[in-house]
Amino acid sequence: MNHARITIRYSLFMSFLVLFLLYLTSFSAPYKPATHTVEISQMKFKPAALDVKKGDKVVFINKDIVFHDVTETSGKSWKSPALAPGKSWSMVVTQNQSYYCSIHPVMKGSITVK
Amino acid sequence: MKRIRSFTACAIGLLFSLTVLHSPVAGQNNPKLSDAEVAHTAVTANQIDIDYAKIAKERSKNTEVLKFAETMTNDHKAVIEQAVALVTKLGVTPQDNAVSKNLLADAEKTSKMLRTKSGKTFDKAYIDNEVAYHKAVIASVEGLLIPESENAELKAFLQNVVPALKAHLEHAQMVQKQLSGK
Repeated sequence: MNHARITIRYSLFMSFLVLFLLYLTSFSAPYKPATHTVEISQMKFKPAALDVKKGDKVVFINKDIVFHDVTETSGKSWKSPALAPGKSWSMVVTQNQSYYCSIHPVMKGSITVK
Repeated sequence: MKRIRSFTACAIGLLFSLTVLHSPVAGQNNPKLSDAEVAHTAVTANQIDIDYAKIAKERSKNTEVLKFAETMTNDHKAVIEQAVALVTKLGVTPQDNAVSKNLLADAEKTSKMLRTKSGKTFDKAYIDNEVAYHKAVIASVEGLLIPESENAELKAFLQNVVPALKAHLEHAQMVQKQLSGK
């Protein structure tokens, strides 16, 4: 009798345990932010238009022969320091951004949060 | 205005003589530039624009013109430094030549003209000249210096400079538009 009760309890416990484990694994893993690279070369941001997910990191690397910077279009929000050839700068993106190089205003780019 | 037009005409004339009269079609009278002469011409062309920017910094009070002049100074200095580093590595000593001499003679006239102007008249003359000068230099680099370069690294370096010259031209045209109030 006791043995039967113990077996039933054990079976119930194991069933709950399995269900609990299944419940836990039903959640998808949280999104791990990605890192994107924008190359600055030949007086262009490459790619000039970049799609990212909220929280992703964007690294700007200057592979050109002259200094460049990355400046938010209005000039009031954010701006990188002047980047010497070979230097890089990064930012975490949480919303759509448009930017340009304040040293060479004809150079423009954008980041879209999808 | 007349002088700017005459400078532009001069530049176009120089380019015509460099790229048309001396093209392979012209036959055996082509002036053959050595790599040492190509390097000298490239450095001279960059130095001329640094000198124009110096005049702009002395005479202009316009923020956009001053920013443009600062960019010209820094970019052309960087190009010269890299050109010098390259020719040093290649063991080439830049050599004066007819093309460099022509560029300097024209620049002398233009600098004199710019120094006679001030205020808005200067800003317009400087930017108009920058547009004309960059057009002329781009045509010279693409039509003469790159084809005349024998060393692959020198050729690649000059090809790498062209996008910067084109961005300068666009920037100058942008400021030109702002000055004319369009």
